[in-house]
Amino acid sequence: MSQDPQERESVLHTTDLVVALIILAICGILYYVTTTFDEVSNMLAQNIPPEFFPQLVIIIIAILTLGVPFEHLLHKRRGDNIDSERSDRIKRMPYVTAALLVALVVGIPYLGMLLTMIGVCAILPLLWGERRLKLIIPFAILFPLAVAYLFNKILLVFFEPGIFGIAL
Amino acid sequence: MEPVIEGLSLILLDPFNIMLIFGSVLIGVLVGALPGLSSPMAIALLLPFTITLEPVPAVAMMAALYCAGTFGGSITAILINAPGAPPAVATALDGYPMAKRGEAGRALGIATFSSVTGGVLSLIVFIVAAPALAAVALKFRPPEYFALAVFALSMLASISGKSSLRNLISGAFGVLLGTVGIHLTTGVERFTFGFPELTEGIAFVPVLIGLFAIGELLNQSQALTAHYERIRAHVTKLPDRNDLRLIWKTVLRSSALGTFIGILPAEGSTVAAIMGYNEAKRWSKNKEQFGTGCPEGIAGPEAANNAATGGAMVPTLALGIPGSGSTALILVALIMHGFRPGPFLVQQTPEFIYAIFGAMLIANFMFLGIGLVGAKVFSQVTLIPRTILWPAVVVFSMIGAYASASDLLDVWIMLIAGIAGFIMRRHGFGLAPLVMGLILGSLVEEAFSQSMIMYDNNFLGLFESPIVVGFFVLTFFSLFWPFAGPIVKRMVTRPGVGAKDS
Repeated sequence: MSQDPQERESVLHTTDLVVALIILAICGILYYVTTTFDEVSNMLAQNIPPEFFPQLVIIIIAILTLGVPFEHLLHKRRGDNIDSERSDRIKRMPYVTAALLVALVVGIPYLGMLLTMIGVCAILPLLWGERRLKLIIPFAILFPLAVAYLFNKILLVFFEPGIFGIAL
Repeated sequence: MEPVIEGLSLILLDPFNIMLIFGSVLIGVLVGALPGLSSPMAIALLLPFTITLEPVPAVAMMAALYCAGTFGGSITAILINAPGAPPAVATALDGYPMAKRGEAGRALGIATFSSVTGGVLSLIVFIVAAPALAAVALKFRPPEYFALAVFALSMLASISGKSSLRNLISGAFGVLLGTVGIHLTTGVERFTFGFPELTEGIAFVPVLIGLFAIGELLNQSQALTAHYERIRAHVTKLPDRNDLRLIWKTVLRSSALGTFIGILPAEGSTVAAIMGYNEAKRWSKNKEQFGTGCPEGIAGPEAANNAATGGAMVPTLALGIPGSGSTALILVALIMHGFRPGPFLVQQTPEFIYAIFGAMLIANFMFLGIGLVGAKVFSQVTLIPRTILWPAVVVFSMIGAYASASDLLDVWIMLIAGIAGFIMRRHGFGLAPLVMGLILGSLVEEAFSQSMIMYDNNFLGLFESPIVVGFFVLTFFSLFWPFAGPIVKRMVTRPGVGAKDS
């Protein structure tokens, strides 16, 4: 009584199966972490233990997640497509943008906040295809300076000066 | 009467506050008009600016931005068929066709009038209902609060978005994030992974900025070449007598509907707008004209989405349960300024509630002026190149996340939240439910722990309270209705059966 592979595929949504497995793996790891919480002293032992609530929430997430690979059936019945938002592949730009942001945040302790802001305003437009230097250069200098002045001098937020010691 | 006068004078008699509200309204309309930028994002980015302000102007700014942002979306929805904000999606259905046939000024006028009417009517409900609800909520003990918070979380199932299941998962993850830090009753560290900065819990601001701003930035990086067909609006005209005769019933009905939907925990302006449009169509004598530039098709969603803003403030302030994603952020602002939103806030500092009411009321009239005079200018904001706009958002996000504690870890949290938000949204997991889960998480756990102490760790003790039982019944329906509802509807309308029964 083996099932037709096509039929099986239509019951289980492949992408959502992967999504569900990732969530379940995260739940597994987090559940394990809850078992490593410190012991509660005897004096406080009559209270709800610290791991109880997170474990309860993790179990609820895991149970709900079990329905994710099958959810497309409900949507199909309603006549809408669960894949409409993700039917296109993710383009290259979000990856590159995220990588740039990570690199800039890594650089904050070295560059300082002001230079990092200038970096964002100079590199990101170029990365996104802006080629009008007359627009980019004043923007990359004036905008971060204005923001730094507002936060540093008026709102008195301490700015990381970085190894070059550049700050307002 | 004294708190009313005191509260309103806090706003009306201080030119600085009026100026801040005006600034927020301008930012709100601007942000609302820009496709991709949303009210929650703007409120999240505004949070760090308000740290140094007094609580009244800080919260007044956010409330004003919330109202104006909801309205701003209608300008671009009508003029370029690109709703600047999700609540304006339904407005584009009739607003753009009307603008296309050369009546952009009329469409903008109907939208402005309906928005202001909806907003003002909902504020009247807010000012009456919030103290009344707070008076009831004062009788709540931890078990009732626990049940109420669970009910609010269950409402995430029906929050705007495609999937009830994914919204619930998202909300539960938010609750889990809320458990990071030291456990209040035992002092045990949870999920801190050796970072001493996390012992006080995950800071709300970086998570909110990351989810709403960085997540959207990554999303927008895929649509850099999007172009919009722009329609010129020379003058915005308030509805004339014929239009008023056509739309007044729709405006009143949608205002009531929007206020009610706003009051429901977790439901927001987008749901209100869509329901406002559907109801306008259902009651209209000109159903066939919907989608071709029908005035009721603009008035319905606009009155409803702005009415939801006043409605959403009711549970936020009276119960401490956010009525929408944006009010969740206003709740965070209140907490940051040392307030504990809920019945005690309403009872002990009523002037504060009236001050917020005053700020929202002024905001509504300000955007009436802006809508009439400045719609043409605001439609031009879409000319700002995305390649410049979004780097500016990144700068504000980085500084905003960093500024609240001057800690680089918060910038990392923002970035991680942003990347997670981008992935979550792509796979249909709502961001607003996560935020609401994060905010309600600690309330749920605290109330649950206190209840268990009250009932000697006996869970069944919770059912001794009829209010708790009532909330649990509502929770049950709210959880299962999104799944059972379509089945029930199908059974009721099954051909033959329904007819026979009727």
